[in-house]
Amino acid sequence: MKATTRKDLVAWLAKLMEKYTLIAPAAVGNNVLYKRIASTDEIAFDFTRTDMSPKEHFFPDTQAILSITKRHGEVSLTEPSLEREQVIFGVRPCDARALRVLDALLLDHQPADAYYAERREKTTLIGLACPEMWPGCFCTSLGGAPDETGDVDVMLTEAGGGYLIQTVTKKGERLTEGLALSQAGQKRPRPKLSAERVPLPSPEVWRQHFDDEYWARLADRCLSCRVCTYVCPTCRCFDVRDEVIRSGVEGSIIHRLRAWDSCLSEGYRRIAGGHNPRPTKRQRLRNRFYCKFHYCPQDFGPVACVGCGRCIVACPVGIDIAEMLGDVDKWVKRET
Amino acid sequence: MDTTNPMRPYLGTLVGVKDLATDIKLFRVELNDSQARERFTYRPGQFAFLSAFGVGEAPFGLASIPSRGPALEFAIAKVGTVTRALHAMEAGSIVGVRGPMGNCFPLDEIKGKNVIVLGGGIGGAPLRPVIHTILDHRDDYGHLTILWAARHPSLLVFTDEYDEWRAAPRTELHLTVDQGDESWTGNVGLITELLEKVAPSPENAVTITCGPPIMIKFVMLTLQKLGFTAEQMITTLEAKMKCGIGKCGRCNLGEKFVCVDGPVFTCSQISRFLESFV
Repeated sequence: MKATTRKDLVAWLAKLMEKYTLIAPAAVGNNVLYKRIASTDEIAFDFTRTDMSPKEHFFPDTQAILSITKRHGEVSLTEPSLEREQVIFGVRPCDARALRVLDALLLDHQPADAYYAERREKTTLIGLACPEMWPGCFCTSLGGAPDETGDVDVMLTEAGGGYLIQTVTKKGERLTEGLALSQAGQKRPRPKLSAERVPLPSPEVWRQHFDDEYWARLADRCLSCRVCTYVCPTCRCFDVRDEVIRSGVEGSIIHRLRAWDSCLSEGYRRIAGGHNPRPTKRQRLRNRFYCKFHYCPQDFGPVACVGCGRCIVACPVGIDIAEMLGDVDKWVKRET
Repeated sequence: MDTTNPMRPYLGTLVGVKDLATDIKLFRVELNDSQARERFTYRPGQFAFLSAFGVGEAPFGLASIPSRGPALEFAIAKVGTVTRALHAMEAGSIVGVRGPMGNCFPLDEIKGKNVIVLGGGIGGAPLRPVIHTILDHRDDYGHLTILWAARHPSLLVFTDEYDEWRAAPRTELHLTVDQGDESWTGNVGLITELLEKVAPSPENAVTITCGPPIMIKFVMLTLQKLGFTAEQMITTLEAKMKCGIGKCGRCNLGEKFVCVDGPVFTCSQISRFLESFV
């Protein structure tokens, strides 16, 4: 295995910025977020779990998907394109694994989403292994691991004040060509794993317990604030609407915007005319959990949760997705 | 549909706008690009998104069939922001069209059967292609019974076609309104009451229903009483949608998406959904 020093890593990242847009964890107020950086000085090298995943760099929170020009009764459409390839540094294994879910839904399920496809193609991922599992983390219960390498192009592991390097893909090999490497003097350190395991109920269990009063009790304290969907690395619901950017006698410029949406919003399913088949919080919170653990596996393959724990930390009323899985499992044990 | 970017609409021109009922208009759209016209092959039951550029887009059932002309037709009630913007447009305006999307009514599979069509209000829009297809291939199907309802006589759609429907062989049209007016001499009452009165036989028959969710629910219960099985009852569902291609998440009913798994379902499929459509 190869190794590099922090100093050589920074020099390499600075060099990458000549060709790529570099996205890295950086302090923004009290948060650590993946953002486009202008200088390597901005990079937060010592961080635990970022407050948001890097999802927004594949599937932006708000994105103009069409630019519409109206002029003298004529209409023309242009689609935006990502001009510069991007490199994301410091991606945690769970967030990289979350891209499997988005890939299944937005790429493999036809027709593919053109905007996501372009960004996925034009992005290289430099992963950073987690040395341990933090409060709320349960990646190991969902098939992941703090040091999982499978979903990134290059994997870094902190060791002895520097980094061990594994190139995982051809893309990663090309990217690391300019990085000063030496032979590693040590083995890859193993992360500290939490002993707790969260159970994953079977499809039959989900079907059987759909109408359980448990969902009403759990949703009772839900504020419908939607922060759980906002911080989730796999939530992908979106809204589309038009915004007039400029309007005058000659015509107008309109952006068709796609923005993250949340199935927890009261009016999410309401149709024009007023009918709403999912009017209660109980139904909406249940839908979020069922989407992750029951619907997505059936429709697209992967479970739509990677155990990153962000929704557990962010929920202002302590609704805990891992605890919920444990509760569902408990009924099953009681019944059998 | 353009597979390179399914979120990019075709441009189309409104070639006709006609009042159908109070706050309901029929929009006729022709796609501007000849390649787009070639690609846009659609079947009864499918839907498409219409864009009022600057306001947004929304999905609507296609109310036409390709064999009756090149224009795509949409019957649209003015109920929300996009429909309000569309209603303000005149012939010659440019709109966006994405589609066709969704599955279709099994019109080939039900050849030889008696067909009972039940439409409530604007729910009649996606049923018009069923009626037109049967009328244009009259010998391929058995008896056609149309039960057509609206809240009020002024909300009945496609009134100018009723004579054509009634005149067709082995075809009957029954109308009802929830509330009549001074000139209304026909049935007054819910479509379920009309259905009990007409009492079509379930033998060698299928039913195709569209209307408000609550109407679909009670029509199915009434049909059940008349002896129809869940497999014989076909319906098409409406849902809020943002993409129409199974991505945006809006239209799920349990693990099913109305946009890609539907909008056409049998009652037997609906009864197996985890979530209720009502």
